[in-house]
Amino acid sequence: MGDRSRQSRAAGRRIMGPQSALTDFLASHNISANQIRLDAEARRRAAAQDNSESRPSDQQLLAESTINPTEPEADDSTVVSTGRSTRGRSAAQAAAAAEERKKAKEKKAIDKIKASKKFQKRKRGDGDSDDEDLARALFEERAKPLPGQMENCAICNKRFTVTAYSRNAPDGGLVCNPCGKELAKDDPVIKKKPKRAIGGAVGARRQVQSRILDGTYQVGGKSLMSLCIETLAKNIDLAEDLGDLPGPIVDKIARNLSKHRLLNPTTLSLFLQPSSHEVLVYDGAKLGSDDFYRIFHSVPGLKKLKVRNAIHFKDEVVDFLTTRNIALEDLYLHGSNLISQGKWIEYLQKKGQPLKSLRVYWTDKHFTDNVLAVIPASCPNLACLKVCHNQAVTGKGLEHIAKITTLRHLSLDLREAVHPDVYVKLLTSIGSQLETLSLTRVPELDNTVLDAIRTHCRSLKKLRITDSEIMTDAGFARLFAPEWLNPGLVFLDLQKCRQLESTKPRENPDGIGLCDEGFKALMAHSGKTLQHLNVHGCRHISSQAFEEAFSADNKYENMQKMEISFCEEATDFVVGSIFRSCPGLRELNVFGCMKVKDVRVPRGKILVGVPNARGMVIEGEDD
Amino acid sequence: MSDSKYITLVSYDGFEYVVLREAALVSETIKAMLKGPFREAQTGRCEFGEIRGPVLEKVVEYFHYYHANRDQTDVPDMDIPVDICLELLMAADFLGLDSKPQMRDLS
Repeated sequence: MGDRSRQSRAAGRRIMGPQSALTDFLASHNISANQIRLDAEARRRAAAQDNSESRPSDQQLLAESTINPTEPEADDSTVVSTGRSTRGRSAAQAAAAAEERKKAKEKKAIDKIKASKKFQKRKRGDGDSDDEDLARALFEERAKPLPGQMENCAICNKRFTVTAYSRNAPDGGLVCNPCGKELAKDDPVIKKKPKRAIGGAVGARRQVQSRILDGTYQVGGKSLMSLCIETLAKNIDLAEDLGDLPGPIVDKIARNLSKHRLLNPTTLSLFLQPSSHEVLVYDGAKLGSDDFYRIFHSVPGLKKLKVRNAIHFKDEVVDFLTTRNIALEDLYLHGSNLISQGKWIEYLQKKGQPLKSLRVYWTDKHFTDNVLAVIPASCPNLACLKVCHNQAVTGKGLEHIAKITTLRHLSLDLREAVHPDVYVKLLTSIGSQLETLSLTRVPELDNTVLDAIRTHCRSLKKLRITDSEIMTDAGFARLFAPEWLNPGLVFLDLQKCRQLESTKPRENPDGIGLCDEGFKALMAHSGKTLQHLNVHGCRHISSQAFEEAFSADNKYENMQKMEISFCEEATDFVVGSIFRSCPGLRELNVFGCMKVKDVRVPRGKILVGVPNARGMVIEGEDD
Repeated sequence: MSDSKYITLVSYDGFEYVVLREAALVSETIKAMLKGPFREAQTGRCEFGEIRGPVLEKVVEYFHYYHANRDQTDVPDMDIPVDICLELLMAADFLGLDSKPQMRDLS
């Protein structure tokens, strides 16, 4: 494996260097260094053949003479003297001496390579490969004869002219054209890769579609800033310092780099500005513990730390952070499974005082109920708590959360099933001041929770309840009834709150999930303020309910993004009405709405997910 | 107020570029300069004390690129020379050429 990669690397880098002044001078006097060497080799070979049968192979000798092909004239004197001396001595001695000399020379050359800039650069790029291996690979690619020179075939020993297409023999050296063809027959690896379409009609279309699904699509060219940032991200290894760019731009660059997985210990340095208060690492997968130490060293005034894929953010790093004079206000960790429960508790007890926001994503076992238990006492300023994709927290932990009286934003995505009563208790104690309540994947939640929200919540702006299989339409209608004293929501996500009954999927006699009445009530209550609405999979909302909510005299100025995928009743007319009622709408998702067939989309709007021949997306063209 | 169809942008090292007014209005900064009670609004001449000639040239190229493509959907990206990329980024920030430029009121 290593050998193969080395060979391919060598083959890729066979570059002809410039001729030296000496070669040039000699050539002008009709002296060819190459000719001298060839003569010398011929003499030596003749001598060796005369003397003994156990002579070193041609190839070895040749290898010696071509150790440094870029400076052939420097080699020549030694080669010539070798040739002369071998005639006198016995062949074995000569061979041994030559071998030794060759080794010494090789070692010297390798040492030289190791010190060279090219080597350092390549090493950085390669990352984990061994120093010795890499130097040897570079050495070998230098030692290869240049195109245009003569060489003996490694298989049939015939002389041939080296070209750029000469193949490598399996055990080193080059092979002549006929042998190369034989080799190519045996080679099972098909070298030719199918060409990927870059640019052109297909590639461009794909790019546009990708940008639409990313939500970065717009009519006209990209902004100059994003063009610059993309160029910069492509050439990030050339940048030594980002200078004094403003924070938001540095952040955009960081995002773009992470998107291409280019954030590594080297590029991390670009984002560590000593005067800054925040470090946002969107992809820390390539960072080690040392790099996290470096963050704390270089940014002493750190207040906000966000690390996604923070695999190596482990106990030692937390220890270090605890001992430093850094008071984090905002900590966001994603995937830090190497922090043990004890360290979490220790950190929160010692550094919980200034903490305003704690967000922990993707932890398996160590962010537990016991960790949550220390928060009420040691984090008196905590306003935002997110615990997502967590396998350890149970109803007990929620009871501790209920004691955090300062909490404004709460997001939970737990794997353990928790009884609705626990949520009711939680909302009773801290519901009145919550601005964000996000409960993701809660199949067991029922109407009692909705009623608790209605009774206790007065300042909610963002509400998410997903995957509930028990909540009913009547419950939603009660929640969004005009009596609810909460002002209109800005963000509402009720995706997949629907009946799950595989035998009679069309019937829903109990009105489970978000259906007509609930939908109409929510649009009446929050329609004017909503910017983002997601009713993905609420398949019992009828087309009448949609038509009523989006009738001609209802205007929802603030709506920006809507998701009505898998609402089976949505028709062309419904989609048209939505565009009419929501003038600010930018994007509407209608995956799986099979009744949406041929809809006119206003200019600049995006309709994603139409099941037609044009693909998934229609971007508006009609005015 | 000068109501020529063209305005002049001047770099700090003295290069002058004459640009279609409508195209240059993509930049929020230039728009504010031309709309406000400033000298620029009368003369139609905007001087940038911090932008070098070659960078401003690229910015002007961008104005025309954006203006020419404002109604197209599949727009090829403009080439950005790597050597002035950072300077251009600073200039883009200064001129308010942030994401989602909107061609709004051009009057």
